[in-house]
Amino acid sequence: MESERTESPAPVAEVFNSIRERAIAENSMVVLLQGLQGEVTTVDLRNESTARGRVVNVDAFMNVRLEDVLYRDRWGKLTKLQDMFITGRNVRYVHIPDHVDIMKTIESQLAKIHRVRNFASHGGGRKEYAKKTK
Amino acid sequence: MEERERKSAKSDIKETVASGCSRAPPVPEHEAAAGSKAGDDDADKTDVCSDNFDPLLALYSPTVPLPFPNIKGFNNVAAYESFMKGGRGRAKPENVEKRRRKAMKGVADPERIERLKKLIVNNPVTGKGESSSGGSARRERQKPQKNVLTRMPLCTGSPLGELYRCVQERIRVKVHIRTFKGLRGVCSGFVVAFDKFWNMAMVDVDETYREPLLGEAFYHEKALTISRLFEKLKLQENPGGDEPAKTHEAQETAGEHRQPANPKSAPKNPTGERGDGGTDSKLSDAVGVKRDKRRVSLKAQGPEACPRRDSQTYGRVHTRHINQLFIRGENVLLVNPQPL
Repeated sequence: MESERTESPAPVAEVFNSIRERAIAENSMVVLLQGLQGEVTTVDLRNESTARGRVVNVDAFMNVRLEDVLYRDRWGKLTKLQDMFITGRNVRYVHIPDHVDIMKTIESQLAKIHRVRNFASHGGGRKEYAKKTK
Repeated sequence: MEERERKSAKSDIKETVASGCSRAPPVPEHEAAAGSKAGDDDADKTDVCSDNFDPLLALYSPTVPLPFPNIKGFNNVAAYESFMKGGRGRAKPENVEKRRRKAMKGVADPERIERLKKLIVNNPVTGKGESSSGGSARRERQKPQKNVLTRMPLCTGSPLGELYRCVQERIRVKVHIRTFKGLRGVCSGFVVAFDKFWNMAMVDVDETYREPLLGEAFYHEKALTISRLFEKLKLQENPGGDEPAKTHEAQETAGEHRQPANPKSAPKNPTGERGDGGTDSKLSDAVGVKRDKRRVSLKAQGPEACPRRDSQTYGRVHTRHINQLFIRGENVLLVNPQPL
């Protein structure tokens, strides 16, 4: 767990807040985007604008939170933003960095969810939000 | 140690008092008789450490010399017991048991290890930590695990199953991407993973797309098709081709648009028919549009100062290459596996 934390300079909270969200994410490709948390990516929006920044958090509905964002609107105008939230429906593309292995990322995210679920069931109930999604 | 002895003596006192309640009436007589005797007898009787200690007398006499100063007094035996236990809560039997268990929490309990070892599936020699995951993994595997990767091969026999075949056999696919109304462009690449929403992860993607038209241009726009898209791209790249070739191509595209062979044109028919009714007028219109564009590009070719700016300031076609791309399924129009 410690080694996984070192890849992002700022530790991020990845806790799912509900079982429902975890189930939705597990059965869809959102897990790939969740594996990108901490990476710098470009998100192309439906309105032909693009946002390039570090992915803080992606939830089961593909809502994306970015930080240190360079936002280019559809007319090409650049804006620097510190924090940005994009609704899942407005996403068209997410550029995946070249160094990311897609299958490996999906498998590791699924393993994390699996581990959390087993830990929660076998360890004897909730342990005050000690969910090991990181 | 001596304090404890004294206190246990006191607990004995309690018991004797309980048994000797019936002796209460004779006490005043006893005391009166004692009072007549010498005082030291009294002192002797109330002295805890002496042999002639009379507990009842000690309890009811106003002054009892305490042999040891600064001692802790208790109201009853239970208070004394809990003090001896060292904790803060009352020493009920269940509390005692709980506290003992808590103290033993981190310590490996051999009995518990034995119980957990029975749950291990593969490796009987691993410790307690491994066995817990082993046991629960066995329970999990009893009903098959379903996640996005396992669902991919499940949809054979359906269009998604066809897409899975493209993933397995590494067939290059063309994904048509939509704008809010109509076609935006085409992504050509290999699909690595997908899900039921048609979200797709693709690699080695060549995207050809057109900027959306706005305003009047949008209103008058002919529905964009794939052929038109690549036409425009070619036109952009080589401004000013031969005139006969261009009109010939214009006729071909118009003809294609009439045919329902292109699966995309089927939903486009209502919008196509919006502008004009007859096919002849459509044909001439298409030709006219093409000729205008060509004329514009020829005009642009002349003055070298502004080569491209005048030709097409809107609705330009772009191409880019992206190594790894994730597409949200909502934007997918159709997927076209390319024949090998």
